[in-house]
Amino acid sequence: MPANSNYTDRVKSHLRLDTTIESDVVREIRTHLEDKRHELIESGISERQATAIATRVMGSPELVARQIYEVYSQGSWLQAIFAALPHLLVAAFFALHWWQNTFWLLGILIAVVGTVLYGWFHGKPAWLFPWLGYCLLPVMAVGILLIYLPGGWAWLAASAYIPLALIIIFSVTKKITRKDWVFASVMLLPIPIMLGWILALWMLALERQNGFLSHEQLYEFAPLIALSFAALALTVAAFIRVRQRWAKVGVLLTLEIFVLVIVALGGKSSINLGGWVGLVLLAVILLLGPALLERKIRQDEHKPLNLYRKSAR
Amino acid sequence: MNYERELLKGSTDSLLLSLINRQTTYGYKIIKELEKRSNGYFQFKEGTLYPALHRLEKAGLLQGKWQRLPGGQERRYYYITPKGQKALAERLAVWQDFSTAVALIVQPTIG
Repeated sequence: MPANSNYTDRVKSHLRLDTTIESDVVREIRTHLEDKRHELIESGISERQATAIATRVMGSPELVARQIYEVYSQGSWLQAIFAALPHLLVAAFFALHWWQNTFWLLGILIAVVGTVLYGWFHGKPAWLFPWLGYCLLPVMAVGILLIYLPGGWAWLAASAYIPLALIIIFSVTKKITRKDWVFASVMLLPIPIMLGWILALWMLALERQNGFLSHEQLYEFAPLIALSFAALALTVAAFIRVRQRWAKVGVLLTLEIFVLVIVALGGKSSINLGGWVGLVLLAVILLLGPALLERKIRQDEHKPLNLYRKSAR
Repeated sequence: MNYERELLKGSTDSLLLSLINRQTTYGYKIIKELEKRSNGYFQFKEGTLYPALHRLEKAGLLQGKWQRLPGGQERRYYYITPKGQKALAERLAVWQDFSTAVALIVQPTIG
């Protein structure tokens, strides 16, 4: 029954839930369509017509999928707090000046790695993705440290490292996008904020002392950096709690831009309008780019199937 | 605003809980039963049933279990939970009071 499987395929492609829930829902709808179809055939309707009627009375597969998504998409308060926790830890890291304490630094590192490993091997729940974002931090940090290499070495190393770093970030993003593109957006959420603060600090350091960051500068910026990560924590908690998909994306986009305003206007930040627009553009690309990536992945996956269906006709 | 649709929307959960409370059943049969018992008045868009069932299940009022029938077909049967029975009793009591009050106002007074 290609029409029935086409209907359930369309439901599945819009569900974006845990695989166990997804397979249960699809199986249930498939058995419903089967029952309806058999009943219609027994009443004397042709198989083709029966399939068409059975799928028509079910209603729009996209609407069914959206309504079921909204049943399961809301995480509990505990999940919201757990998802916000990595951003709160970073906020505390700056607010309480933990960068001076190796114990805290190691503690945060172990917490991030441990939580990511646990979540990755336990069904990749929604709270995992903010934690996963911080695992990409070393990839970015190494790239930034290359600036401090002597003379022409910095450019040479950067030109080799940047493509490698982009490949790593892209492949992780692609893997997450297969589950749901909004989770990839949540994972990439802190990148523009971090780059914004690095840019702000670096420009201030250039103005004052040849590009080297001092403790005093970090102290100056620490409350604002903490505030921006606390706002990110709030963003992620709201993302977990809202049901509707459009509201989830809206929360991410609005609060991310709000945080970037803090980065650009806060304290003695010397990011100019061009720099700020660049950061906002990067934020929009990182937030909505996974949606385009998902579309591309699905098109590529359906290509062989569509070719088969065309040739079968 | 479609008044009938709004009324049905507000009563869907109670109708489903009530039906499943009488007998454990599955999606397709629920649609049939609702239509039969209401003499064809309740005709759901069939796909909208499943979000409602899953919502009730997530709220802990129903529990769904897969069962294999002797013919080999599989069905996801829904059972009402004690929490669901309690919620149904509360809703029916509210509905009873509400419909009595509406009847008192709508019906013409005698004498």
